[in-house]
Amino acid sequence: MADVQQWRDEELVALCQQGQGQYFEFLVQRYMQKAFHIAFDFTRNAETAKDLSQDAFLRAYSKIKQFDGRSSFYTWFYRLLVNLCLDHARRNSRVVWESLDGVTDKPSVTAQLSDSHSQPDQEVMAGEACRRASQTLEAMPNKQRTAFMLRNDQGLSIAEIAKVMKTTEGTVRVYLHRAVAALRQSLVEFV
Amino acid sequence: MKTTEPLKKACQNYEEDLVLYYYGENSADERRHVEQHLVECACCQSFIEDLRRLLPRMTPTETLPQSFWDNYYRETVRKLAEQDERNSWWRNLFAPMKSWLVPAFGTAAVAILAIALVMGKGKLTSFIDRPSATLPQEVLADDNQLEFFRSLDMLESLSHLEEKDDGQLKPMPSQSSRPKSEPALA
Repeated sequence: MADVQQWRDEELVALCQQGQGQYFEFLVQRYMQKAFHIAFDFTRNAETAKDLSQDAFLRAYSKIKQFDGRSSFYTWFYRLLVNLCLDHARRNSRVVWESLDGVTDKPSVTAQLSDSHSQPDQEVMAGEACRRASQTLEAMPNKQRTAFMLRNDQGLSIAEIAKVMKTTEGTVRVYLHRAVAALRQSLVEFV
Repeated sequence: MKTTEPLKKACQNYEEDLVLYYYGENSADERRHVEQHLVECACCQSFIEDLRRLLPRMTPTETLPQSFWDNYYRETVRKLAEQDERNSWWRNLFAPMKSWLVPAFGTAAVAILAIALVMGKGKLTSFIDRPSATLPQEVLADDNQLEFFRSLDMLESLSHLEEKDDGQLKPMPSQSSRPKSEPALA
């Protein structure tokens, strides 16, 4: 079993395409954390993020025979997931800035926006910063927000983001620039 | 509010490069170019410092307990199995039919076509034989008009023949211009 976990994505995908679907579970293990965090970035709701990321796995599994290997499995899967999240965002048209409070014992994003030795007034400011960030992100065009979250939160390179979003690297650079400039404009007073 | 200073804007033609510089996405030349500029420009330095203070805090860093991931994995695998089961149920339902389904549809299609031809044949014949009196006036051709167009065709053909003749034979000069020494053409 340990050997299988070392296999490359392409090898696991090839086995799935040959009808050995049980190997897809290794891909789930490999990418479930990233998938969940991407979905959480978009939705800011743990339950919705879980549902969306699991839907993405189900969809990828049902379409695995259509995967032609021109991009990496991860890029292809990422694209499925991002499209699901964008569809969800369009249907709901509101991102509520929630944390994973109750699920984790680590500080929430709200707390992160304050200093480590924060006082009550500073925590109020951090809450305001959180709301401002949420409003700024929500007001952005979907593609700008997507490019920013994939780069800033998920650490994808611009080349990878371009493949996921099916656009050019130059366009991703523009999205990223605009998103960062807008966030700086809205949040710099809280920094 | 931490500061009441007005926001310093970066140099417009450097701002995008500064964002890429922050994320480490510049080429080596671009990076050198930006770094040289940062030495000289306080506004751009301020821009980069703001990004360094602000953007890391926007990155979610929650670490979820292992129990969450174990449950997530089990639930996903269960959903995959259920999906497989649903798809298999449909495949198993139609599998016995595959051996006779295509021939059955083929036979039915041929039968329907045959019936349509037989039933429609009589109607087709009657349409062809329908006297012109039942045809609308717009369809009926006026004999005089047809004769006119036929004559036009004939005239066009005649002019083509004349052009052909002119091309094969030398043009026949008129009697008065013909030199006396040349014999007349046959």
